[in-house]
Amino acid sequence: MNTRRLSAIALGTVVFALVVTMALRGSAVRVLAQDSACPTAKDSYTIGFANLTEDIVFTQLVREGMVATAEEMGNVNLVLADNRLDGATALANTENFITQGVDAIIHFQTDEAFGNVIMARARAAGIPVFAIDIPMPGATFFGADNYYAGQLAGEALAAWVNENWDGQADAMLVLELPQSGPIPAARMQGMEEAFQNNVETPVADDMVFHLDSKNTQEEAFRVVSDTLPAIDEDAKIVAVTINDGTALGTIAAVEAAGRGDNLMVVGQNADPSGQEEMIKENSRYLGATGYFPENYGAQLLPRVIDVLECRPVPPSIYVEHVFISADNVCDYYPDNWPDFCSQ
Amino acid sequence: MTTMESTAAAGSRPTGLRRFLRASEVQEVLALVIMLALIVLVMASNSNLFLSPRNIINLLMDSTTVGMIAVFTTMLMISRGLDLSVASTAAMCGVIIGTSQSTIGLWPGVMLALIAGALVGLINGFLVTFVGINPLITTLGMLSITRGLAFVFADGLTIPVFDLSGEHQATYTAFTQLAEGRLFDIPYPILVMSGLFILGIVLLRYTTYGRAMYVIGDNEDASFLAGLPVRRYRMIAYTLSGLSAAVAAVFLTSRLYAADPRAAPNIELTVITAVVLGGTSLAGGQGNLFGTLLGVLILSSLLNGLKLQSVSTELQNIAQGLVLLLAVGIDQVRQGKIDLGLWRLFRRQARASTQ
Repeated sequence: MNTRRLSAIALGTVVFALVVTMALRGSAVRVLAQDSACPTAKDSYTIGFANLTEDIVFTQLVREGMVATAEEMGNVNLVLADNRLDGATALANTENFITQGVDAIIHFQTDEAFGNVIMARARAAGIPVFAIDIPMPGATFFGADNYYAGQLAGEALAAWVNENWDGQADAMLVLELPQSGPIPAARMQGMEEAFQNNVETPVADDMVFHLDSKNTQEEAFRVVSDTLPAIDEDAKIVAVTINDGTALGTIAAVEAAGRGDNLMVVGQNADPSGQEEMIKENSRYLGATGYFPENYGAQLLPRVIDVLECRPVPPSIYVEHVFISADNVCDYYPDNWPDFCSQ
Repeated sequence: MTTMESTAAAGSRPTGLRRFLRASEVQEVLALVIMLALIVLVMASNSNLFLSPRNIINLLMDSTTVGMIAVFTTMLMISRGLDLSVASTAAMCGVIIGTSQSTIGLWPGVMLALIAGALVGLINGFLVTFVGINPLITTLGMLSITRGLAFVFADGLTIPVFDLSGEHQATYTAFTQLAEGRLFDIPYPILVMSGLFILGIVLLRYTTYGRAMYVIGDNEDASFLAGLPVRRYRMIAYTLSGLSAAVAAVFLTSRLYAADPRAAPNIELTVITAVVLGGTSLAGGQGNLFGTLLGVLILSSLLNGLKLQSVSTELQNIAQGLVLLLAVGIDQVRQGKIDLGLWRLFRRQARASTQ
């Protein structure tokens, strides 16, 4: 082997070594840069989701949507818990999530007042928190735009009264839940104000009845039955209700009194029980504002990953609300009512 | 006593667990220890986090509300009493703390809550012992009253117990330290719960009042005829039960930075489950606090372990219900209300067939 050839090989080896070294160094620099720019970015994530309760349809749909989305995404391991409508349980679940080393927490808990201690624990552990429907200090909010959701139902009811009752109702039932605080109260306020502001002749203040529904169909039936004697027999009655169940209880009570023809009701949630009522012939349930809890997971989990991968996310993310009635229920839930939707 | 007699007495003095328990109770406590060990073993084999120090602290912290109340519920049930109002009393006492902070101040509010809790217990005791109303009905009624008062005082809302203005930082820091402070890395609520168990054990074992609880629970009429102040002692038991609910409320409010009129939902059932599981008879006259402590730990370990494995709430509820049924079943066997003759017959036949 001559010297020139040896020199060429040596030079080639040195150049190759330099190129490889530079390439490796470059990629190392890139990895380091990526790590230092976004230390929480990983290939897969463990996310804790504590549901409000497992006892109602709405929250069951939220959980099912979360689980389905996590499975679809493939890189999310969801750790589930139930806050059981209780602050102490929500705190215990937070501490359990921290013990399990989750990357982020999604909390659907019962009251804003517990947010301070929950966020203090999560902040100390350096874990980002997403709060569903009930805001917490420092958490990214995701959920209902309560006043707007109420407005949609109130406006729809006012439009119906303007068209069918010459713009005048004689009495208004407000089926609310006082003990659940300001967030659901915003829904009720939105419905009541939007109705009164949009109907041609607002209902007189002394004919607006605020009733504690306790969030249940049975209690709504009872309080409405007790209130009806205070309203003239042939009075036209409108009702705004905090959810579908209380709407059904209201309708049942008024129909039991033989006054169903003089009633029209709107509500919130548009869950399957409400949809079933609104598609009945001559239904007294005009409709309800939809929250689409089954889509919470699909909307929220990608945002959680955005935060963990250091992409910007707005501090509040609102779900899209639509007023669901017999006219458009097939656009959103065609599979729920195949017979009705095929007509 | 002669020197010989005292030496003999000292020689026969029970040691270990037998110093605090009757002979029949030692076996029950050992059975509970085995049950707890099995649960711990199963949970630890399914989750390597179960025995981590952090999780053990979580588990014990979660059991403090139940544990603090269970000490005095045990004493009450030994004397054949029952208090279903403890959870709602705790909620009301928490709300008293929450509403007092803007009027008489935080610490006077804590004192007021403790007094209110004791007063609720005193009223329960008066209605049961002097008016003669059934304990179940009395405390069920009190459950509704105190829960209702909690909602009225709080106007239905959860009250932040938090220095929102920033003007009383030292006061609120001291209050939150009740739940968050640590001694030798053990949170105060766990230490307080342990202290209450020790106090209860001493009361039951070494005081006339404690020993009288067993006698009253065993036979109230005979106790009365023997000259025991039955009514007074039962009043004290109910008052201590109410006071323990208030103490638990103080620590719960401190832990949550908030007072919730809905707080401690169904805790009374968890307390009774733990107490009965621990060997206290629903018929009175039997029970011990070692068993209750183990009952509390068994329930906490079970729920904590299931939570760590993301087991659904429904299954957690079923597990807790099964434990309650098991506890009551054991109690019924203990009282001789369930005839195990069939079981003995089955065992005899099985033995005969193997011979």
